[in-house]
Amino acid sequence: MEALFHAHATLLFAAAAALVGILSSLAASRFGVPILLVFLGVGMLAGDSGPGGVIFNDYGLTYLIGSAAIAIILFDGGLRTRATTIRSVLGPAGVLASVGVLLTAAITGAAAKLFLGADWVPALLIGAIVASTDAAVVFFLLRTGGLQLKRRVGATLEVESGTNDPFAVLLTVVLVEIASGGPGVDAAHVVWAVVREASLGALIGFAGGLGLVFVLNRLRLPAGLHPAFAITAALVVFALAQTIGASGFLAAYVAGLIVGNRPVRAYASIASFHDTATWLCQIALFTLLGLLVSPRLILPVLAPALAIAAVLILIARPAAVWLCLTPFRFSRREMTFISWVGLRGGVSIFLATIPTLTGMAGAQIYFNVAFVVVVASLTVQGWSIGYAARRTGVALRDPAPEVQRIEIDLPGQLDAELVGYPLLEQSPAARRRAMPSWVKPVLVVREGQILQPVEAGPLQPRDYGYFLAPTARLARLDRYFAVDGPASADEEMAEFPFDGSLPVGAIADLYGLDVGSDERGMTVAELFAQRLDDAPQENDRIDLGSATLIAHAVVDERVRLAGLILEATPEEDDAAPGPRRWRERATDKLKEARIKLRLARGAPDSLG
Amino acid sequence: MPLSDFLTPEAVIPALRANNKKQALQELAEKASALSGLPERDLFETLLQRERLGSTGIGHGIAIPHGKLAKAPKLFGLFARIEKPIDFEALDGEPVDLVFLLVAPEAAGADHLKALARVARVLREPSVTSKLRSASDAAAIYAILTQTTTSNAA
Repeated sequence: MEALFHAHATLLFAAAAALVGILSSLAASRFGVPILLVFLGVGMLAGDSGPGGVIFNDYGLTYLIGSAAIAIILFDGGLRTRATTIRSVLGPAGVLASVGVLLTAAITGAAAKLFLGADWVPALLIGAIVASTDAAVVFFLLRTGGLQLKRRVGATLEVESGTNDPFAVLLTVVLVEIASGGPGVDAAHVVWAVVREASLGALIGFAGGLGLVFVLNRLRLPAGLHPAFAITAALVVFALAQTIGASGFLAAYVAGLIVGNRPVRAYASIASFHDTATWLCQIALFTLLGLLVSPRLILPVLAPALAIAAVLILIARPAAVWLCLTPFRFSRREMTFISWVGLRGGVSIFLATIPTLTGMAGAQIYFNVAFVVVVASLTVQGWSIGYAARRTGVALRDPAPEVQRIEIDLPGQLDAELVGYPLLEQSPAARRRAMPSWVKPVLVVREGQILQPVEAGPLQPRDYGYFLAPTARLARLDRYFAVDGPASADEEMAEFPFDGSLPVGAIADLYGLDVGSDERGMTVAELFAQRLDDAPQENDRIDLGSATLIAHAVVDERVRLAGLILEATPEEDDAAPGPRRWRERATDKLKEARIKLRLARGAPDSLG
Repeated sequence: MPLSDFLTPEAVIPALRANNKKQALQELAEKASALSGLPERDLFETLLQRERLGSTGIGHGIAIPHGKLAKAPKLFGLFARIEKPIDFEALDGEPVDLVFLLVAPEAAGADHLKALARVARVLREPSVTSKLRSASDAAAIYAILTQTTTSNAA
């Protein structure tokens, strides 16, 4: 009976903690606290130093749950990444995920040696533990934060965070081996191990993803089981890779990529299930980590750990980003932003449990330092990510609209989707009425009645329209049904059209734009190809200093037509300080009055 | 930068007569020359050259022909409502009836861009364009154009 009671009590406690975490998200969004910190806080409150007083020291269980959570989060991240996006940033993200991790680990390691007075190996181990950006956190903050970044910047960050864990994991494992006096490790061995882990991981992920797609499309599973099957399969892929010594993290991410980029039955329900699952994983991961940490033990290392975090954020990450990305022609502002989004998260804390698990002496310190670094990173960087994006101009000024799209699963694997939208007033669809030719109207729901498109005629506000549309063009259809409002200042911006074949120099001269001397001789199309790694997409933007070029009519990845947006400098008007604006306004009023007078003489029926 | 910085009440033409884009540019150059003292021929050539790079029609019946002129001492703006909308080779293919001409000195740099951005922003506002289209005379048009500047900056 005792055992049963214990099990029930544990369950009650765990579920209640998660519930508190979810409910606190309301408060979090109000105060702008990064929500992951809230989960961490809930865990800490429940833990041994908080009112909860639960003593939880099970590193093994944390490792187990942590791996599963991170695998699911990575799989979900892959599921939502388009293949074209990956292709366009493979170079920069790949270098950042490999060389960047090494550089970050080395510089942070040096700081750890300095501040903790440790030997090189343990110091570098600390560097390695916090070297990788955290996919869970990056995906989460970039996607849930309502932040829309320039595609290349956002994609680089996402792909980097999805692929750099294997390198950090490997570095950590190798350093733990050395530290615990394992067999002598030479450089060739390490390089070989990295290559083997990464390529095997990618291979397993690729094969697993293909297998998953095959099974989903061929077997007739009961409807509700598709998402369950996908998530379990993702865990199998992850665990299989880990068991045979490959990178499970990379495998889970790649498997997600494959599934997300092929026509798959029940994709809509899989994706929405994973939305929820990812949330639960974040909650579980961070609450557990909060529970595991003992604030009492952290205090002695707090000062040096904060110093390490400062070096990581202010020196190591920017240095790595600058060295890795300069060859890829990112602008200075873009690199500044990418440096700032070197978010650390669960993966680091999770890696920090490895020394303890392998029974290293004094292992506790790794966990405590990593914990402080992660909390510092989440607090400082996580909190300011929106501000940084606007400040550096990498946030889009007219982000893709939020739209209420209903997805209906079609049997088989078609490259088309059945989607429904409510027709809202002040949306382009309500104004224009005629649909693009690639959209097939299927049915209309009007005032509780189901009508065929022919009976219904043009859509009216409050109708629900259901359409068959090519999957690749859904984003464009979204824009069609999103409210853009008549009077909003951030409606689509004025663009001056320029043909893709025009020389960049001619446009730059006309407006005094900031273009590199090697770029002046290129055509607009070539400039897009150059800056976007040969894979520009519709609505991609490139920064020309005080203006932005936006790609249109992209055919075969060549930009046929570009629009020049002049309103590129964010907050151009808002920058004026209050008093000056007031004075300006007063002057305007004066001028107006004078003009009224002047005109009144010539034009009797002037102003009302 | 409020529009009144470079648009005077006299530089508003409530009903310009033109049958095509070239004629409209000619008319605009003539009016601009009369008001600013800049040579008409240079104005016309500058505008025409800019149109050769790409139409300055920004859609929804609006065009912002512009260019730089060495002889211009400062930014100069001129607004015209065209009696019968004309084809301006705009992207959306809609005929144009609201035209804002902007000429900048060769060395205007950032001011040129800011002024253009401001004009574009004001004219993209559907509530403004509908008022401009229904306004009765030059004074009313001028008031609409400059009032927007005030409310937008606030």
